[in-house]
Amino acid sequence: MSRLGRRLFLLVAAVVVAFPYAWVLMAAFKAPEDLNDPSKLSFTPTFDNWRAVGDSHVLGSAGTSVAVGLSTVAIALVAGTLGAYAISRFRAGGATTRFGILLSQVMPPAVLVVPLFLVAFNLGMRDTVQAVVAAHLTFVLPVVTWFLIGFFDAVPMAFEEQAMVDGQTRFGAFRRVVLPQVLPGIGAAGIFAFVLSWNDLFYALILAGGNTTTLPVKIASFDTFRGVELGTMSAAILVSVVPVFVACFFVQRRLVRGLSGGGLKY
Amino acid sequence: MATITLQGLQKRYGDVEAVHALDLEIPDGEVTVLVGPSGCGKTTTLRLIAGLETASGGAITIGERDVTRLEPKDRDLAMVFQNYALYPHMSVRDNIAFGLKARKTSKAESDRRVAEAARLLSVDHLLARKPGALSGGQQQRVAIGRAIVREPAAFLFDEPLSNLDAKLRVEMRAEILRLQRRLDATIVHVTHDQEEAMTLAHRVVVMNGGRIEQIGTPAEVYRQPASEFVARFIGSPELNVLETARAHAVLGLNDPRGAARVGIRPEEIQLASAVPADEAVARFTARLDVMELVGAQAILTFVLPDEERVRALVDARTAGRLAEGQDVELAIAGDGLLRFDADGRRVP
Repeated sequence: MSRLGRRLFLLVAAVVVAFPYAWVLMAAFKAPEDLNDPSKLSFTPTFDNWRAVGDSHVLGSAGTSVAVGLSTVAIALVAGTLGAYAISRFRAGGATTRFGILLSQVMPPAVLVVPLFLVAFNLGMRDTVQAVVAAHLTFVLPVVTWFLIGFFDAVPMAFEEQAMVDGQTRFGAFRRVVLPQVLPGIGAAGIFAFVLSWNDLFYALILAGGNTTTLPVKIASFDTFRGVELGTMSAAILVSVVPVFVACFFVQRRLVRGLSGGGLKY
Repeated sequence: MATITLQGLQKRYGDVEAVHALDLEIPDGEVTVLVGPSGCGKTTTLRLIAGLETASGGAITIGERDVTRLEPKDRDLAMVFQNYALYPHMSVRDNIAFGLKARKTSKAESDRRVAEAARLLSVDHLLARKPGALSGGQQQRVAIGRAIVREPAAFLFDEPLSNLDAKLRVEMRAEILRLQRRLDATIVHVTHDQEEAMTLAHRVVVMNGGRIEQIGTPAEVYRQPASEFVARFIGSPELNVLETARAHAVLGLNDPRGAARVGIRPEEIQLASAVPADEAVARFTARLDVMELVGAQAILTFVLPDEERVRALVDARTAGRLAEGQDVELAIAGDGLLRFDADGRRVP
C-alpha cells in the first residue's frame, strides 16, 4: 500500500474508533433538548449532567469498582504468577493446559452466574464486594495466567539452576531470580486484569445490584423507566473511560508482547 | 576443597539410560575434564553431581558426605554455566555476592571477598554495571568470580568457554589454570572440545553413550587410548584408521599381532626424505589431494592407490615444496602405531 493510502486508511480507522467517544463527550455537555438531535454540533455547553453525576453517587460506585478491581488484581496476580510458573516449568496439567486454560473464556458468563448467585446467596454474601471479586476471578485469572506463561518461558532455566546451586531453595530462586525478570509482564498483566474487572457489568449487576453497585452498574442505572438519561449517562461513561485510557497507555507495548507469547527478549 | 566420588551412578529418562552405572573418583585439587561427543552423558553427569538432576541409582559423595539425596543448595558446590546465567536485574557486585548472601555471610566479609575475587579476575572496575553492559569475556569472568567467592568444596564448569571466540577461549583457558593453581581448586569441567580437555585436565574422562571409555592423564589418553573411539576422539587432525589387510597391501605395513585395524597418528606420516631409513616402519607413495596450512604446520590429505584417504601433519616449510595433485613419497615414522581388535578395543 502506498504511503498516502496507508495514511488514509489509518485516518478512517481513527475516525471510526474515535467517533463514539467524541459523541459521548459532546453528549456529556448537552442539555436534554440538544440531545434530542444527535447530529447537532453547535450547542451551549451545560454542566447539569455533571452535577447530576455528582449527586447520584457515581464516585461512590467508582470507589466500589476500584476496590473490586484491586482485590481481583491482587488475587489474580499471586495465583496467576505461581500458576504460570508451574505451567511454564513443570508442564503442570500436561501440554494442553497452556492454551486449555483459556477454554474458560469460551463459556458464556450466563453459565456461571446462576451457580455463583446461589453460592453467594447461601453464604450470605450477596451484594458484597467479595462476591463480585470471586466472579471476576473466573475470567480474569485464566487470562492473567495465560498471559504470564510466555514471560516465564523467556527466562532460561539456567538462572534458577544457578541460584539453587548458589544456596537458594526452588522457591527462593523463583522469588529472587525469576520473579524480578518477569516484573514487566506482571505489571502489564495487572493493568490488563484491572481493566477487565473494571468493565464488567453482567456479574456485578446480578451479584451486587443493591448497595454495592460498581461503576458499570451505576451507568446502566441511568437507563430508567422514564427513559435513558443520555446526558448524565455520558458524563458517567467519561468518568469510567478515563482510567482505562490511562491504563492502556502504560500497558499497550507489553500487552502486545504478552499476546505474542513473550517471545521477545528484554 | 574435597574429593568427589561417584559410585554406580545412574540416570534414566523413561526407557533411555543417559548414564550407565558410573564409577569415578574426582581427586581433591585436580582438574578433571569430562569430554565426549554430544549426548555422551557428560553434562548429565555434571548436573547429577550438582543436584540439578536426581540420580536413578548409585551414590555421590563429596568429601565424607553422601550428597545423593541432598538439594543443590546443600551440596556446597559452585557452578559456571555455558551461558553464564548472570542475573540481568542485578549489578555485577550483587551477582558475585549472591551466593554469599544466601549463606548469610556478614556484609563486611562479603564485601572483602567480592573485592578480592573481582581483583583476581580484573573485573573490579565493572562492579557497578549490569551484566547486559559487559562483553562476553567479561561476563565469563564475572561468572567465575561468582563461583570462587563462595569457596566451595568443588567447582563445576559446564562448557563455560564454548560461547567465547577462539582467541578469548585460549586466554580464559590459561586464566582458569592460573586460578586453579592459586586456589588449589577441585574442578569438574565438561567440554566437547578435545583440545580444551587436553590443555586443562590433570585427568581426562572420555565418555561415550553414557559410559566411561577411559580415565587417564592427557598423555595417556593420547598415547595409550583404551579404544578406537578414544583414539579417534582425542587428537586433531583425527587419527587415520585402516583395516589391517589394506594397511598391509597398500602401505606395506606388516603387523604380526593380529589386530583388525591399525591407527596412525597424522604426525607420524612424514615425507620419506625426512625419516631415516631405520626409523621408518613403512614407506609408500600417495597423491596429495588437499593442503591446509595452519601456521607452523600443515595438514595434508593424501589419496592412497585404493582411494582411501589419510591425513598427515607436517612442518609447514616442508609442505611448502609440495603441490596439490602431486605424487609424494611418504614414510610412517616411529612405533606409535595403535592396534585395535574387531570390537574396537586396543591391542597392546
